[in-house]
Amino acid sequence: METTVALLNGFSVALEPSKLLFCLVGVFLGTAVGVLPGIGPALTVALLLPVTFKLDPAGSIIMFAGIYYGGMYGGSTTAILLNAPGESASLATALEGSKMAKAGRGGPALATSAIGSFVAGTIATLGLAFLAPWLVEIAVKFGPWDYFALMIVAFVTVSATFGDSPLRGLTSLFLGITLGLIGIDKLTGQARLTFGVPDLLNGVEVTTLAVGLFAVGEALYVASKRFRDPEEIIPIRGSLWMTRQDWKRSWAPWLRGTAFGFPIGALPAGGAEVPTFLSYSTEKRLCKYPDEFGKGAIEGVAGPEAANNASAAGTLVPLLTLGLPTSATAAIMLAGFQQYGLNPGPLLFAEKPDLVWGLIASLFIANVMLVIINLPLIGIWVRLLAIPQPWLYAGILVFATMGTVAVNASPVELGMLFVFGYLGYLMRRYDYPVAPMVVGLILGPMAEAQLRRALQISLGDPMILLENPISATLLGLAFIALVAPFAMKGLNKFKAAED
Amino acid sequence: MLTSLLKRGAIAAVAVVGLSTAAFAQLELKIMAPASPGGGWDGTARSMQQALMASGIAKSAQVNNVTGAGGTIGLSQLINAKGDGSQLMVNGFVMVGAILLNKSPVNLTQVTPIARLTAEAEVIVVPTDSPLKTAKDLADRLKADPAKVTWAGGSAGGTDHILAAMFAQAVGADAKKINYIPFSGGGEALAAMLGGRVTAGISGYGEFEGQIKAGKLRVLAVSSPKRLANAPDAPTLKEQGIDLELLNWRSVVAPPGLSADQEKVLQEAVAKLVKTKEWTDILKARGWDDAYLGGAEFAAFLKAEIERVGKVMHDVGLVK
Amino acid sequence: MTNEKLTQGADRPALIVGVLLLIVAAFVGYDASQQTIVSNYGIGPTAMPYVVCTGLVALGLAHFFVAFRGGLPKPDAADSGALLWIVAGLVALIACIALGGGFVIAITIVFACTARGFGRRALLVDALIGFVLGLVIFLVFAKLLTLLLPAGPLERLFI
Repeated sequence: METTVALLNGFSVALEPSKLLFCLVGVFLGTAVGVLPGIGPALTVALLLPVTFKLDPAGSIIMFAGIYYGGMYGGSTTAILLNAPGESASLATALEGSKMAKAGRGGPALATSAIGSFVAGTIATLGLAFLAPWLVEIAVKFGPWDYFALMIVAFVTVSATFGDSPLRGLTSLFLGITLGLIGIDKLTGQARLTFGVPDLLNGVEVTTLAVGLFAVGEALYVASKRFRDPEEIIPIRGSLWMTRQDWKRSWAPWLRGTAFGFPIGALPAGGAEVPTFLSYSTEKRLCKYPDEFGKGAIEGVAGPEAANNASAAGTLVPLLTLGLPTSATAAIMLAGFQQYGLNPGPLLFAEKPDLVWGLIASLFIANVMLVIINLPLIGIWVRLLAIPQPWLYAGILVFATMGTVAVNASPVELGMLFVFGYLGYLMRRYDYPVAPMVVGLILGPMAEAQLRRALQISLGDPMILLENPISATLLGLAFIALVAPFAMKGLNKFKAAED
Repeated sequence: MLTSLLKRGAIAAVAVVGLSTAAFAQLELKIMAPASPGGGWDGTARSMQQALMASGIAKSAQVNNVTGAGGTIGLSQLINAKGDGSQLMVNGFVMVGAILLNKSPVNLTQVTPIARLTAEAEVIVVPTDSPLKTAKDLADRLKADPAKVTWAGGSAGGTDHILAAMFAQAVGADAKKINYIPFSGGGEALAAMLGGRVTAGISGYGEFEGQIKAGKLRVLAVSSPKRLANAPDAPTLKEQGIDLELLNWRSVVAPPGLSADQEKVLQEAVAKLVKTKEWTDILKARGWDDAYLGGAEFAAFLKAEIERVGKVMHDVGLVK
Repeated sequence: MTNEKLTQGADRPALIVGVLLLIVAAFVGYDASQQTIVSNYGIGPTAMPYVVCTGLVALGLAHFFVAFRGGLPKPDAADSGALLWIVAGLVALIACIALGGGFVIAITIVFACTARGFGRRALLVDALIGFVLGLVIFLVFAKLLTLLLPAGPLERLFI
């Protein structure tokens, strides 16, 4: 009850016309910058932070909320339209989204991702308002062993992206894990697989691999079979908007995606990637049209996109209640809040109730703005696909390069982008799925670090993984998920999901 | 003889002042942040840019980011820009360790030190329900069995790790045997502390401040030479009989091979910068403590830090 | 790539992949054996590389097995001319950035070469489009986002 009153107070601040305008501007800027490849949400927020300094605290916080949600959403547009996921959390969206876009269903794909983001964002923000103090108690209870078990659950779901050959899927996955070994080992500082090249010490950037394999690899592949089997891109087939059928197929994935995204996002080391993978594989297993997966199933966009946005709101739980920045974006948000005189932490809700509830109210409003701004834009975005093929792919390569150059303009990094691009081309030629490789690169290092932390704390005793209820349960789930498909129908039945 | 020297000195001083005001009017600077946009060094570089331009010290200031290898890639580019009097680079304590850890072919003795800008004290904390009450309790535990004392902190070879190792050395425990667990970012380490997963945590004071004030974490010691103004109850290590001081500082350096004039222009620009209102406002907003140390003093400080860190990293086996 | 009959009875691409996997495994194993920093407690930085190494060896051997049982899917012949144009464009881009030619020229080359690879025959027009695109991107990043993309002689005229 108290919470409801406080929230309504927050709305009374955030609903002033001038504040609404700030929010609109924030969402617009966030989306516009977030769309640029290579500029993920963290960088978007960092770059736009100074814009907000010119306003009063309430105004700047409200604009900031808009920038945050806009930036989170912007990444999915390039993932769907150009198959160039600008951040690791958009990876799962690109899998089905880009297939839909090529088949003339880019409109519904963008719409389900915008509305899914809205639904997920709204539910998750409600969760933030009402469940935060309670959720955070559970979240800090997660130890390294529990995270390790969670990563194992996520690993099991990778098989959903394997396509028709477990051998080729596993090969792709293991190569990804191998890439994950490159660089300075987080736990000891030991350099691994760097061969004396300083540029490799920071490891392989997920976006470099993803954009290389997905966007560059695909451009090469399409060009290579231009005469024999020309690719036909249709900007719009059927309705530009979601049909009844699309709505029917989207609502449950939105809710399930939110259910994965919000709690995992609230975990201090949960991240946005794991829930998107979990959502993708869940949708694939539950989908009534499993044949469509790999050819553009709307569930495969609706679920992961909702999970991505719900985890963005989830990240705010530890940030606001504990002052814990659990992602790069959150760390920059924290810096922003401090500039406005908000010190996130256990005392925040008591000390600055107006500002914090104003912020939460603006998150709701930003969510509404996001849909209002982005739905009309879909028609324009989709028309991008009508650009003649040579220019379209030339443009895709320009954007892919630009993303890498903006973050790290080293020849080694660009070289990696193109080696991965060529690898992506060869993998497509011989029907190796590319997604497991990126998943391996993301999850491999996370799982390794958590396992080693767990064993450092237990002084080498592996039983710590089974002694703790959360990790034991999660490992049990992973085991069941791994064995069940074999028992029921065999892995071969899982159809190609990527490429 | 003496008068002529004085006279010459006076003329030189006038010349320098004339030169530097003229130089300021058209000072165009490039500030490199040897890290990706959004991080601490990037924040420092962009704050400098903001303050330099707003206060009119520089006509323009461009920030560029050179990512990779704990900043050592940026460092090697700086060293390649030999003699470029318009180039600056932000760096800090962490780079000293990163150079050793990455076996970098270049190091900080090759640059022209300009000034230390900010510094943050480190804190050693335990969860409130921990039986450890003072730094001495922790030291006793550490001496009894270093394996059982788990430390949570930032990256391997970073400030937190080095403080843990130095603490062990200072209290006479085996620094080689410390059970230090690096977490990515202060957030994760903090969660491990609050969840009671580890014995003690180390981080910059700012990251733990909220939890300390809320009574969820207890400070055993701060690493600064004096008690902190915003945490007067937290004792220093020195007070507790542990001879150890460590500050996580950030500084700005320039390429090697500068002429005395070039160096002076940069020194003066930064000396002016730290006195501007724009800069002090930024420091306040970001919660950074001013720790300006210019010229020769900073050069000596830097040299001492390089030696000290090198020795510790060697002792704990991070560098062979 | 398509004359897989060279090795009798075996699928050549599958054999090649198998060999490559074993080579990667060898690199990973060798690198792990050369590491000097150890962890005091739990498992050290070499554990994961050895696990990965074992997995890669198993997958490599599995590819040899597959090579004699049908092999990998047979791809169609590739249009090597198209590939060559695009790859040349990308290599030129790296060279341009590495040698300090700047972002705009690099983008011009990539755009023109890729469009050529996709069958357009108007190299000059495409180069012009690429140039304008590159310049616009450069200016947006430099002026609005204060991110400096690699600058060559051309870009310095605008900053």
